[in-house]
Amino acid sequence: MNRFFYIIIATIFISSCEVIEGPYMTGTIDPIDTTNNQYVKNILIEDFTGHTCKNCPDAARELDAIHDVYGSQIIGLAIHAGQTFARPYPIDPTGNPDEKFIYDFRTSWGEELDGFFQVSANGLPKGMINRIDYSSSGDHRKDWGEWANIVGDELSKDVLFGISIEINQTPLMLSDQFDIIINSEALSAMSGNYKLVVCLTENNITNWQKDGDIDDESYVHKHVLRSFLTPTFGEDLAAEEINNGDNFSNGYSPVISTLENNNINHSQNTLTLGNGNAGDWDLNNMYVLAYIYDESNNEILQVEEKSLLNK
Amino acid sequence: MNKFSTLLQNKMKNRFLTFLFLISCCNLIAQNNGQITGDFSLNLQSYVEDAAINAAAADEVVLNNAFLNLTYSSNNFIIGLRYESYLNALLDYDSEFRGNGVPYRYAGYTIDGLEITAGNFYEQFGSGLIFRSYEEKGLGIDNAMDGIRLKYKIGKGISLKSFIGKSRTFFTYAEGIFRGIDAEIDINETFELENATKYILGGSFISRYEQRTNPKFIIPQNVAAYAGRLNILNGGWNYYGEFAYKINDPINSLQENQMNYASGSAFTNSLTYSQRGFGITAEIHRADNMLLLSERERTGKAYIMNYIPTLSKPHAYTLLAIYPCATQAMGELGVQLDIFYKIKKGTLLGGKYGTKLNFNFSRINGLEGGYSILNDNQNHTPALFDFSQELYYSDINIEINKKVNKNVRYNAVIANQTYNKDFLEGKTPGEYGVLNSTIAVLDLSYRIKKGHTIRFETQALFSKQLETASKEAEGDWLMVLAEYTISPNWFFAIQDMYNYGNENESKRLHYMNLNVGFLKGSTRFEIGYGKKREGIFCVGGVCKLVPSSNGLNLSITTSF
Repeated sequence: MNRFFYIIIATIFISSCEVIEGPYMTGTIDPIDTTNNQYVKNILIEDFTGHTCKNCPDAARELDAIHDVYGSQIIGLAIHAGQTFARPYPIDPTGNPDEKFIYDFRTSWGEELDGFFQVSANGLPKGMINRIDYSSSGDHRKDWGEWANIVGDELSKDVLFGISIEINQTPLMLSDQFDIIINSEALSAMSGNYKLVVCLTENNITNWQKDGDIDDESYVHKHVLRSFLTPTFGEDLAAEEINNGDNFSNGYSPVISTLENNNINHSQNTLTLGNGNAGDWDLNNMYVLAYIYDESNNEILQVEEKSLLNK
Repeated sequence: MNKFSTLLQNKMKNRFLTFLFLISCCNLIAQNNGQITGDFSLNLQSYVEDAAINAAAADEVVLNNAFLNLTYSSNNFIIGLRYESYLNALLDYDSEFRGNGVPYRYAGYTIDGLEITAGNFYEQFGSGLIFRSYEEKGLGIDNAMDGIRLKYKIGKGISLKSFIGKSRTFFTYAEGIFRGIDAEIDINETFELENATKYILGGSFISRYEQRTNPKFIIPQNVAAYAGRLNILNGGWNYYGEFAYKINDPINSLQENQMNYASGSAFTNSLTYSQRGFGITAEIHRADNMLLLSERERTGKAYIMNYIPTLSKPHAYTLLAIYPCATQAMGELGVQLDIFYKIKKGTLLGGKYGTKLNFNFSRINGLEGGYSILNDNQNHTPALFDFSQELYYSDINIEINKKVNKNVRYNAVIANQTYNKDFLEGKTPGEYGVLNSTIAVLDLSYRIKKGHTIRFETQALFSKQLETASKEAEGDWLMVLAEYTISPNWFFAIQDMYNYGNENESKRLHYMNLNVGFLKGSTRFEIGYGKKREGIFCVGGVCKLVPSSNGLNLSITTSF
């Protein structure tokens, strides 16, 4: 019997310890060459965040770092949600002369997604990577430290759909109105319910953010959700049976200022603790983001984005 | 099918297995003269909205936590399970505790000195610096292991324990696979020494495996920690020392400044001398980058697998515990001195029954420059001993416990605590700053007649912010409590906490609570109604945020 334990001890000690000496960086990898591939697998990272969440910038920086490694295959969507970290402070020039955190980044769609996926209720920051693990026993709400590992796994999955985005303006349109056409192509035969979601994001919004122990007035908020052009949970892409090579086309003609005013009204009149300070959208920094997901497990199968002004 | 339907299917499977388990139990009981024991607990709370104290209503109106433990033992054989029900979990619990299930079940037997456990078990090596799997219902913590554990006495005074398993996180298990071994040797017993001084040596080793890939940085998939401990006992003297070390355990990030390859370390040392009517304990501990998680990237208490014992006195009185000390496994240095003295009866100060005095001092501060960091661009190791760093917590208190006569006894405490609210509660520096509080408690009980006792608690807390802060402080508190006990069956209590010194006048509120309890044998019923203040609740330095609430609560506990 004693020998049995000595064997256990020796096995554990020998095999269970990996002391690593520097340098620790193994080198960067080059983003995938997409010049000869019409479609590659893209990943959507939905970063649930809030401007008074001191740890949330760590998650945003991780998203940036993942993007730096994998390039345009990584698409971010920052969803400010919940009443704890995302709610704006009241506009109060006396009590809050620096106007800290008075902007309302929240949207009705973000709140609905947050309620459905129960994200902010479990503490921020959390993210969903292509919404995997929603229907499994695992947790679909991932801590930012998990993202890089999951992205690596997701990128190796088959590309089932391709998406391309066309954005046009005709002379008869308002200056802030656009024709947006989402062209999708099935790259495999499939059966199931697939949904298309189209939304607008805005990049590089400079506004207050708690960042660790600092209240940062010049923090740059990236890929912030502004509005959905489809219902929150999308619209049907096609009938249940899809053949390899099937093409689909969905069009939208939003007027951006109308969407902006809708957000302001929603913040002012509907959102809990909202203050209506949700405007100042900048067309120059806006993007159209489209994704297709499988309704049976909510997994996002493909995502694409394009600058609204084709920049 | 949504996530919760899938989970329900899994739970149905669990229930079926549990049913089989129970049938097996019944058969075993029928066949053997075994013993079955158990205990049950139910905690039900209603939540109504109360904007004044920022209390939210629950959509379900009533929330409930309950569990039932069953254990069957016969000769060398034991099996057990725990059924848990969270429909839905109380608001101070993690909402991941949702639904019903049997997350804890095990079987074991002992043969030839070898104890085998298969299934769930709790385990701790030494004082827990590198590994502690435990359950603390008050905190909503249960990181039970699921796997195999072996315990064996090799010879005289030498014992070994070893396990392999995964740790529980709510109703599932974390990814990390833990392997551990602990050995302890009683030198005197092993070598048959007849010294007055007794020596006990111990050593432990733990390793966690997680499959991880990273395109940019090297990731250790097997992360190990080890610890050694020594206990020396001689007469009234008792020395305990333990040192722990953890190898590189970086998170799996692509950001260089988040990758920390520094090793972690911790030690704790205590020296106690005690004799009849007198005891003194001096302790020092230090932890640096010593957080060990069941999944390296996860946040939250459910994933913490080691334990740094707190050095502050665990106060039971409400206002003494309003600003508790949360142990910082990532970096802290602390000292504590605790002196107990009983003034003999028959003396001027001791009176007829004697007087017990307890003096306690503790101080915890941060490490110089923060915890250890090592990567390609940073290399920082804090000084081993530096008590001049940022103060996290200090507490100096004196407690007097006296029985005046056969009907009257009292306990009085005076304390001064310094609490770094910004750091310990994760606030931005300057929001609340450092609070200094002086707290006085008088707990007086009077036996009216046989079986009838009335007890009064009066507590006051006078608090000030030591520096300018941007947020309004809660300021001063008063608390009174009256409790009437009719032994052995009934007790009635009324309590009011009054935040009369809140800088925000609209928050100068009363938190009133009424409670009635009935006890019969090992069964206890308690029903209460009232308001709870939002605050930090700690057990042994492990803390959780308790949200404010207003509503009715019912608790039932029993055992057999």
